[in-house]
Amino acid sequence: MRRTSIGTRYAAYVAALALALVAVALLAAGAIALSQMRVVQAELRDAVAGARAADDERALDGAARYLGLHLFNPLYQLDVERLNETIQQTRSWLPVVSFVVVDRDGRVLTDGTLANSRYGEDVPGALPHDEDGGVTIARRSSETELRFRVAAGGMTAGWAIVTLAEPPWQASLRTLEEKRTAELWSGHRTSLISLGGLVLVATLGLALLTSLLISRTLARPLTEMSRAAEQIAAGNLDHPLTLDSPDELGDLARSLNRMACDLRAHEEALRAERGDLARKNAELERFNYTVSHDLKSPLVTIRGFAGLAGTDLAAGRHDAVRKDLGRIVAAADKMHRLLDDLLELSRIGRVVHPPEDVSLADLVKDAIELLKGSFEPKGVAVHVAADLPMVHADRRRLLEVLQNLLENAAKFMGAQAQPKVEVGWRQDGTERVFYVRDNGRGIEPRFLERVFGLFEKLDPACDGTGVGLALVRRIIEAHGGRAWAESEGPGRGATFCFTLPSASLAEAVPAAAAS
Amino acid sequence: MTTRAARVVALLGLLATAVTGWTAGAAAPAETSVTARFGVIAEEPNEPDRMFTAYSPLLAELRQRLAPAGIAVSDLVIARDLDDLSQRIARKQVDFVLESVFPMLALRERSRSLEPALLVVRRGRREYRSVFFTRQESPIRKLADLRGRTLVLQAIRSTSAFALPRAELRRAGLSLVAADDAAADPKAVRYVLALAEVNQAVWVLHQKGDAGAFNEGDWQALPEKIRARLRIFERSRPIQRGLIAFRGDLAPATRRAVEAAMLALHQDGAGLAALTHASGITRFERLTPAARDAVLDWAPVLLPKHPR
Repeated sequence: MRRTSIGTRYAAYVAALALALVAVALLAAGAIALSQMRVVQAELRDAVAGARAADDERALDGAARYLGLHLFNPLYQLDVERLNETIQQTRSWLPVVSFVVVDRDGRVLTDGTLANSRYGEDVPGALPHDEDGGVTIARRSSETELRFRVAAGGMTAGWAIVTLAEPPWQASLRTLEEKRTAELWSGHRTSLISLGGLVLVATLGLALLTSLLISRTLARPLTEMSRAAEQIAAGNLDHPLTLDSPDELGDLARSLNRMACDLRAHEEALRAERGDLARKNAELERFNYTVSHDLKSPLVTIRGFAGLAGTDLAAGRHDAVRKDLGRIVAAADKMHRLLDDLLELSRIGRVVHPPEDVSLADLVKDAIELLKGSFEPKGVAVHVAADLPMVHADRRRLLEVLQNLLENAAKFMGAQAQPKVEVGWRQDGTERVFYVRDNGRGIEPRFLERVFGLFEKLDPACDGTGVGLALVRRIIEAHGGRAWAESEGPGRGATFCFTLPSASLAEAVPAAAAS
Repeated sequence: MTTRAARVVALLGLLATAVTGWTAGAAAPAETSVTARFGVIAEEPNEPDRMFTAYSPLLAELRQRLAPAGIAVSDLVIARDLDDLSQRIARKQVDFVLESVFPMLALRERSRSLEPALLVVRRGRREYRSVFFTRQESPIRKLADLRGRTLVLQAIRSTSAFALPRAELRRAGLSLVAADDAAADPKAVRYVLALAEVNQAVWVLHQKGDAGAFNEGDWQALPEKIRARLRIFERSRPIQRGLIAFRGDLAPATRRAVEAAMLALHQDGAGLAALTHASGITRFERLTPAARDAVLDWAPVLLPKHPR
């Protein structure tokens, strides 16, 4: 099927409809005008004809009597030549169509012409006699037949039958009527044609305007939406429709935009979930590796020392056996702690306390209080920003985060003479970044991500299982935020940052700085 | 002014015209000193207008053509009848006439000075005949059958519709008398005058007469429906169509100038149109002596009282 735009089609409909309406209107107007004109003409003609009829009757009767007298002598004497002369003379003052002189036998004697082609014909119809007054007048359409007796002194020589054309005034009136009718109709037709031309131009203009309007209001939006749908189908969701009309098309465009937004959100969520899943997979792999490696280590120790204890027991080296068993117990304890940490880590993903509005400053204060034993021996100064905001979060988990980050800062202060820890926040674009900054040993940039690994310890001699930062990241991510580390390198201190989604943030409230 | 004096004056006029033409140039019209007068008889005595209408173009042409010769042409002289015209000729009020043979011979007999000079060729014919006709159903088959019957003729002065039929009847041993002549021989052929050829035919058809006679041209001109009801039963001898005759005492120069002008009329469009307008004349031809004698030979035949 040939493709035609909606604008063109509807413009054609409008043009055809307008043309048809105007044509009907013009024809109706023309018919009415012509009809009225004919009525007026007919009334005028009838009025004039009525007024003239009586005069005509008298004039025709007088003409008949005059001719009857003048025709008598030549007719009585059968002087055809003089009859012809009289007929010819009569033609000069009467509108004679035909003129025949009839003899007493009722046959044509002469028709006034040289050929006299009607000579001898029997005259149809009755001829007037005395009782008729000698004259009869008969009107037939545009002609009048005058029959009169040619007589003198009671002697009838014959008759004359004169057919007269319509009188000049009547012919003039008819000509005027026909001419005026033709002129009026011609004028009317010219007007109709002119008007039709104007209407055609106007209709074409209207059609063009309609086409433009429809194109603007319907076709173009539909085209845009069609393209947008194609873009959406192709996966390109970053070109929202700019159409903003207060109608169904606007609704459709807004629905398309919403659909695109939803798709984009879903796609982003999917992408995030996919990334999260990938991270979790990687984490799981690391976890497997770590678990298998780190749990294997105490087992190897236990097995080795168990074998050694057996050897020592067989050799009767009881002190050695005691030491071996102590090492076995220590390895078992380590394994126990590792398993506890694993359990805690896994619980973070499963056990979620209801969120609540929490003053971050209070949490920091509680964490510092809990870690007082770690800070005071080392003389660590803790600075807490006064404007830490309220947050909406799992209070206990967020306390664990702060506790781990502060403990971590105190733990890796190194040989810093003036150890210092700072808790605060900054605005990075649209998000608030909370941080715990220290001036301790710092971290090589290549290890900034690694420190968040499970059981990962950059310093093997350091206490702990290496679960703390993994736990921090896990808790923050469980809240929908991010956690990362920043450091300019060893000896330059380190900053551990985390964010919380905006929904988790409440209005910032001033809090007293703690140190 | 006597005739001699008039001639002298005319000659002097012509001489003066020649001299003036020699000195002033041929194109300049000569001073008018001679007048030629053209006379005819009215077909209807009380209707001279027909003749004026018919002959005015011819007269205008003659005036135009004779003016350079110093000859003026007067208004047409229309006589009521033969007597009137012969008297006007006698009084020198008419210098030349146009008539058919019978009136021309009658005028010549009366005036004693009329000389036929030109032959009138009418509708292409120099001669014509009279035809005798009657109704189709009539028992008349020959002239002798007209004995005691009524013949419808046109007018007394007509050659073809009176004089020639009368001559033919006389030649057949029949006399022609007026229908209202109570004392006439009952075996004579009676005549009535219908004044027009078509009337003659209608009268015969309406039995106002038993037969009619006119020239064969008029027969052809009859309406078809009328002619179809009639039949010709006799034809006359041929006779000249018409003549131009000059008064015998007219100045020869004037006569020659008029003759020359009339003979040349048919040679150009205007002259031919004027001739045609004058009762269908085709041209004028000079009458040869033999033809003149032939014309004069008709006198004893056509003129009833003419010595034979």
